[in-house]
Amino acid sequence: MIKKAGSIILGIFLLMIPTSFGQETEHFYNVDKEIRVEGKIQRIVMEPRYKDTSPFLIVFLEEKDTKKIYKVEVSPVWFFDQDFYQGEYLMVTGSLTSSEEAGLNVIAREVQCRGETMILRDKHGFPSWRGAKGQMSTKGRRKGKRY
Amino acid sequence: MNKKDLFLFFFFPLLGIVIIFFFLSSINRAYVKDKVEDLVKEQLQATAGILKVNIAHFLSEDYSSEEIFDFYSGEENIYFMALLDEQMEILGWHSRFEGYLPLSQKNIGEQESWTIDSPVGKIFNVFTSFRASDQKTYHVYLGYSLENLELMIIHSRRNFLILFAVVIGIGIIFFLGIYQLQNHFLQKEKEAEAERREKERYKEISAFTSGVAHEIKNPLNSLALLFELLTKKIPPEYKQDISLGSEEVRKISRIIDHFSASLKPLDLKKEDLPFKNLMAEILDTIEQDRITIRYEEEGNIGLHADKGLMSQALLNLLRNSLEATEKGEIWVRAKKHRKKIQITVQDSGKGMSDDEMRQIFDPFFSGKKEGMGIGLFLTKKIVEAHDGSIECKSRLGKGTSFTIQIPGG
Repeated sequence: MIKKAGSIILGIFLLMIPTSFGQETEHFYNVDKEIRVEGKIQRIVMEPRYKDTSPFLIVFLEEKDTKKIYKVEVSPVWFFDQDFYQGEYLMVTGSLTSSEEAGLNVIAREVQCRGETMILRDKHGFPSWRGAKGQMSTKGRRKGKRY
Repeated sequence: MNKKDLFLFFFFPLLGIVIIFFFLSSINRAYVKDKVEDLVKEQLQATAGILKVNIAHFLSEDYSSEEIFDFYSGEENIYFMALLDEQMEILGWHSRFEGYLPLSQKNIGEQESWTIDSPVGKIFNVFTSFRASDQKTYHVYLGYSLENLELMIIHSRRNFLILFAVVIGIGIIFFLGIYQLQNHFLQKEKEAEAERREKERYKEISAFTSGVAHEIKNPLNSLALLFELLTKKIPPEYKQDISLGSEEVRKISRIIDHFSASLKPLDLKKEDLPFKNLMAEILDTIEQDRITIRYEEEGNIGLHADKGLMSQALLNLLRNSLEATEKGEIWVRAKKHRKKIQITVQDSGKGMSDDEMRQIFDPFFSGKKEGMGIGLFLTKKIVEAHDGSIECKSRLGKGTSFTIQIPGG
């Protein structure tokens, strides 16, 4: 049911966005700018990110100590098979792609939640959904339910 | 099966060949792989050089970096590319994979090209600089797919494995063959040795038996003469007893004659014989009131043999079959088989046990109540004197067949 409702919302959302996107100059997985952020989920949205690709799952994360808000780009929605909830704690390892206009953006490589680690990209930033297997790999203990 | 021979003539040589093949092939594959990799990298660097010139040209024509990347976005082998200014600021970039541009300051400056792994295979990275017409220095960062090279390596590995399996297969067949040959040779050598020993033993027994026969024959002759004299001189009421004694002496003498004949080496007088005529003469000497002897031959069979001895050999076989058969038929068949004449005498008699079959050609062995056991021994001796062989097959209650093979045809 949740999945169906999500699909309808996503459909409406997709109609509203422009069909093509230029790749922002600094918006790539920069291995030299890798950081680790731990914080609480403030909200979850779906946004188109790259040209000719499906929307991405974006998590707004409030950093635990500094209370700064990080906009974490997780993965395409179809690829991510875990469920996050508002108020949950996440630990994200990824590349910081901040700019004045976009704020603090993080492209996630690994996301840790409820003791489980979800691997989204390899160490160079290659997206797992474009790999040979095309399936998200996880490690650690599994908690929570699937969609 | 000899374990030592198995290792010596099969496992070790096979293992040796497999190891040598594997070793040489691996060295060769590694060498070819390195050379091909070098060649591909040189090619890609040359391509990057051309690309650099083209980009410089586009920049001089005031194309934006986005427009420039649009020209190359259709190139399947280019996974990503980026244009950087003098301060290493990215002016624009393009990637086939979302957000994937593995550019790191660690790599820049140290080398012009390097390779990284990715889930879609190895990617060859080139970082190269050029000066555009505006006299500014630009840098181009490119990532080429090495997918084709990897496919080639996979194919090479697969071909190697196929070849390796073929070599192992051929090696197994080849060395198994050598091992079998070696086994066969050893077996034959053993058989030849056993035959030689048997012949020597036979020679000794023959010499001894001939001596004994000779020693017995002289007193027997005297005894026969004595009986003849007695027959003339004794009263008529004892004549029957003396006659019986004389007959027994003659019997002993006949037995000794048979022994002596069987021990003597055969003196062959070979001639060309139509087998049909030989059989006709043999069949004339046999009474066929109870059992019918049937004869057939494939084509005209001619023998090159000693007529008297060959007749005796066949007669012995036929007599043996007649004595073993209560009713039915006996078949004599002759045919040419692989440069040999094959003669089979087959009856439907009582047959023989395996124990009897093993001893059937031994001298003085007989399965009958009466008989000296010389007939089949002599038959074998005659056949072997003609460079032939004889074998016997029999099933209890079903019958027996003897097959002679002698050169000819």
